Amino acid sequence: MVISSDARWEMVDAITRQTVTYGTYKQTLGDVLGDLTVKPLTGIPVAVAALYAFWSIFTSFAGTLVTDGFMVKLFDGYWLPWLQSVWPDPTSWHYFIFVGNPAADTCFEAFGMLTSGLFVSIGVVLPAVFVFYLMMTILEDSGYLPRLAVLMDSVLHRIGLHGYAIVPAILGLGCNVPAVTATRILETKKQRFIMMTLLALFIPCGAQLGIMMSVLPDLVGVVMLCLVVGFVIFGFVLNKVIPGENPEILVDVPPYHWPVKEYVAKKLWNRTKGFLKEAVPFVLFGVLVVNLLYLGGVIQGLADLLEPVFVTWFGVPKETVGPLIAAFLRKDLAIAQLSTIPMTTYQTVASVVLVTIYFPCVATFVVMLREGWKQLIAAIAVLFVVVFIYGGIIHAVGILLGVA
Amino acid sequence: MTEGRADLPEGGTTVLMLGNPNVGKSALFNRMTGANAVVSNYPGTTVDFTRGTFIEGGHTYTIVDVPGTYSLEPRDAAEEVAVRMLRDCPDATVMIVLDATKIDRGLYITLEVMERGMPCIVAVNMMDAAHEKKITVDIAALQRLLGVPVVSTTATSGEGVRTLAEQIRKAQVANLGGIAKRLRGEEPRTESLRACGGCGGC
Repeated sequence: MVISSDARWEMVDAITRQTVTYGTYKQTLGDVLGDLTVKPLTGIPVAVAALYAFWSIFTSFAGTLVTDGFMVKLFDGYWLPWLQSVWPDPTSWHYFIFVGNPAADTCFEAFGMLTSGLFVSIGVVLPAVFVFYLMMTILEDSGYLPRLAVLMDSVLHRIGLHGYAIVPAILGLGCNVPAVTATRILETKKQRFIMMTLLALFIPCGAQLGIMMSVLPDLVGVVMLCLVVGFVIFGFVLNKVIPGENPEILVDVPPYHWPVKEYVAKKLWNRTKGFLKEAVPFVLFGVLVVNLLYLGGVIQGLADLLEPVFVTWFGVPKETVGPLIAAFLRKDLAIAQLSTIPMTTYQTVASVVLVTIYFPCVATFVVMLREGWKQLIAAIAVLFVVVFIYGGIIHAVGILLGVA
Repeated sequence: MTEGRADLPEGGTTVLMLGNPNVGKSALFNRMTGANAVVSNYPGTTVDFTRGTFIEGGHTYTIVDVPGTYSLEPRDAAEEVAVRMLRDCPDATVMIVLDATKIDRGLYITLEVMERGMPCIVAVNMMDAAHEKKITVDIAALQRLLGVPVVSTTATSGEGVRTLAEQIRKAQVANLGGIAKRLRGEEPRTESLRACGGCGGC
């Protein structure tokens, strides 16, 4: 038996009347906070404070405390010298692949599987993603995310999205892979396409943020600024160019509640485990591939071929071609590799931004493919155009400021 | 439990968990299966389905955590997944999950599912939050009106989850005409409850 939607609502009313009673309800602290955090006047300062707190805990705990205070000392002080002393024959190909540069003083410079590979994944990125996921879980479980979505709504509408797009954007700062699937909560094809493309282009993942904090702590701010500006500019352009609708959305804002301890622990464990199982082997594999390509002369060949584009158009040294190849496998690895190339401040910023936007990592690529190959191809076409244009813009700005 | 339904296939029963976003389907799912579906406090956490199994009374159930949806007319890709699941599993039992603080909102999709003639069971979740908000849900009355088993649960603490698992076996195909009559008080409320006697206390 099928009934009309009006008849259904009538029945819903009748059932509710006969089964639910409402007592007198006293407003709680949670409700008051709930109101204060969605009203723009009070909500925006709270949002800024929350995101700032997020960022400073992230940098101070992961970057300063764990990585610099412990991991760097462990890896550069003990692990690297020990490997260099026991591994036979520094001139051999296996030394090059596993240990790397025999003259290196730090695990970044060495670039072997067991030196840079382990240091980047365990020493730098693991603490970063752990802290990031802990804070993200608290944001998710407390009920703050949908409120942030309400606050961001009017801003995001200008770039063809609505407030709820903040959810995939924030998930993407952890890892782009679940973020791509999370774009399913957006309603129209246009919104999903814009969000997916902007994710692949401008949202750095937690691993990448972690490594940036470690190798270029003073420049992370500038890099992030370039990415945010790019996000807004190209979101605006895509909104104008792509046909389709961007309807208003009704967001169901749940009440705040304290995150359940066991859920937080479970989620944190699963995400960290996922990182250990999937990302760490990939970083090691990435080092292997890049080293093999160096040994085979492929990277030097590509670097010579692409030199005009890189040097003239983007204003970065041709050596950055190698990290761009690694970036397809793991972005964190690529940035670690970039940090060992001697560059000016401008070149460092430009090349890190390029690594971020030029192509999604292979894992993101695969989930995007799963969401639809037509969209993926379109996204990649957009991506190449954007990389070319934005890389040029950054270079032009650099020239105008007199730094490039 | 000692006996399963006679018409169940050997391989077990598929149970689809359906309901509005953010009513705690994934949390209930994790409680029942011990699985690790991601649980958060915002609508739209689950955008793909997760499958799990549990054994109750010697019977194996395959239970599917389906993305939340407000109705069976999907408005985004996650809701499409839910509607597709329902279409692709016509023999499944549907476990409709309601938020005890917003019963009315979840009843719309409940009726939509019931119209499809699939066996249903209703879980009224977030009883703790309803209690805090001084909202009382008359579970027995809801069960009598709907003519399907209704179980109150609190997924975060695990309360009622055991009963819910036991009651899946008693899932019923609801009769909308019967519901309408009982709402008007035309029919003795217990009459149309065939298989479970309608004592309201099961």
